Amino acid sequence: MPNPRYGDSSCYLEVQGLRKTFIGRKRKVEAIKDISFCVAQGEMIGFLGPNGAGKTTTIKSVLGLVRPDSGTITVDGIDCAGNPREAAKRMAAVLEGARNTYWRLTVWENMQFFAGIHGVCAAKDKEYFEYLLETLRLQDKRNTEVRNLSSGYKQKTAVACALAKKTPLVFLDEPTLGLDVESSYELRAALKRLQSEEQRTIVVSSHDMNVIQDVCNRVIIISNGRVVADDSIDDLLSLFRTRNYKIVVSKNAYMQHPESLVTEISQGFSQADINETPDTVEIAVGFTNPFEIYDLIKTLSDFRVAIESITQEQVDLEKAFLEIVRRENGVCG
Amino acid sequence: MWLIALKASWRQTFTLQIRYLFNFLSAIITMSLVFLLMFYGVRAVGAGALDLGGTLDGLFTGYIVWMIVLNGYQDLAFNVATEAQTGTLEQLYLSPVGYKWLAFFSGSLNALISLAMISVITAIMVLTTGQELHLDILSILPVYIGVYIQAYGLGFVLGGLALMFKRIQSFFQVVTFGVIGLFMIPWSKYPWAKYLPFTMGQHLLQEIMMKGMKLTKVQGGHLAVFAVVTVACFVVGWGLFALAEKKAKSMGLLGQY
Ligand SMILES: Nc1ncnc2c1ncn2[C@@H]1O[C@H](COP(=O)(O)OP(=O)(O)O)[C@@H](O)[C@H]1O
Ligand SMILES: [Mg+2]
Repeated sequence: MPNPRYGDSSCYLEVQGLRKTFIGRKRKVEAIKDISFCVAQGEMIGFLGPNGAGKTTTIKSVLGLVRPDSGTITVDGIDCAGNPREAAKRMAAVLEGARNTYWRLTVWENMQFFAGIHGVCAAKDKEYFEYLLETLRLQDKRNTEVRNLSSGYKQKTAVACALAKKTPLVFLDEPTLGLDVESSYELRAALKRLQSEEQRTIVVSSHDMNVIQDVCNRVIIISNGRVVADDSIDDLLSLFRTRNYKIVVSKNAYMQHPESLVTEISQGFSQADINETPDTVEIAVGFTNPFEIYDLIKTLSDFRVAIESITQEQVDLEKAFLEIVRRENGVCG
Repeated sequence: MWLIALKASWRQTFTLQIRYLFNFLSAIITMSLVFLLMFYGVRAVGAGALDLGGTLDGLFTGYIVWMIVLNGYQDLAFNVATEAQTGTLEQLYLSPVGYKWLAFFSGSLNALISLAMISVITAIMVLTTGQELHLDILSILPVYIGVYIQAYGLGFVLGGLALMFKRIQSFFQVVTFGVIGLFMIPWSKYPWAKYLPFTMGQHLLQEIMMKGMKLTKVQGGHLAVFAVVTVACFVVGWGLFALAEKKAKSMGLLGQY
């Protein structure tokens, strides 16, 4: 899916020029400096950024829980500042690090209440509530008070309550934070299933790239209160994938001047990382210009070594993410 | 949407009340015990020692009004404070109905629950002390509602403070005892005390419950003062709360930052 652009009619959520500085009792914190993005209907999009990047502040600004200093936010064409009630009807959220649910109520009672205060009646939408319970594997726990559930189930209950409101737009702020590996996977699987079955617009924030890579198709990387990348995950990865190679050559009888191979390569390709074993030489190299690989191949052919394998190094989002944040901070000082 | 939200809010309030039944019952017991201690204490010292409207009657109605105030303001202020800390408050703010209306919905049911609780305690008070009370419900109810609304105004002010400054529950205790002070100011010496919150409510309740007066027979001026103070308390409380809300949103304080 191509990125929707500002002013595009396919934008369900549009944020432009958002800024927020918190003026605390002791100091000022510029939480978000300039954030603009656009989310199309039915997209599952990731907000990725290190702690303190401004993800939560951005989400809370959209939800009307934090008043931004400037910027405009529209949801479904509705200006959130001008008509907060209409905007609120279209949004639900699971917020970070908060309980989000009443611990003394059962799973079902929580869903009933939170859907109710959004105008959704549990009795009328029973089937849908059952579907949510099933997808999130909460059926057995429906009559358990939330305080007696494990943290994984608590979080799933919070997600169920947010989804039960049947709003077109849902925010999940760090939904897997503090969960054990298994619960995290289970929640992610449920989110993926929901997304494929209902076409809601879901914004997932996380500082954990694996979570985003797993559930989202597009990612907005936020660092230091700014958007530093906004692209589909595939494109973002391919940006890095095409330039990173790992080449393994074997030393053999036909090889000329094996001792100077390493010297030659390390002089010609200063960025190369060379690892020599008794039988092979492994060369890991990232090219800034994609054609440089031909030069390397030529050098190798001059030495008449046998190329065992050439692999594109598998970059994961984590590396891409760290690289982007590193570069960005380099530029901004 | 509004009707569904109202239903959901009442159901939730009621269910939570049942879950916290133990607190409810222990509140009844403590409140009754505290009253009995005060009652027999004052009687032993001699009624004149504390000027609660002059007599033990004053203690009776003063205590009842105090309980109404306590229930009224704690409902809101306490909920804001605890829910801001646990993180359910922000969820309530996400509702298109709006937090103030949700507070009003659950507050109306809580007013009923409090009425039931105070009635039980009053019954215990009557049974254990043998005091005669006039239970003219039609006269008592409007005063109860008025005082409760005044208390809600105070609750809004304290709730606003709770938004700004977390963990101020201990300050609420101070307020609770401060309210008692209001009843102790003798009107004969300080006539302006009439215009303070809650004091006129106590006076009216005393006339009705102790002297058996009908609300319609009460001095018109007093009724007017009561009505004006009620409206003023609520409007001021609501306004200050709205202000605190705005400030909290700009400082990002609705959650537990
Ligand atoms: N209510 C607040 N008052 C003061 N500073 C805040 C408040 N909320 C967030 N911040 C600060 O703003 C920055 C961004 O925070 P946040 O949006 O929570 O980042 P993230 O969710 O990406 O971790 C952080 O430096 C944080 O300390
Ligand atoms: Mg955050």
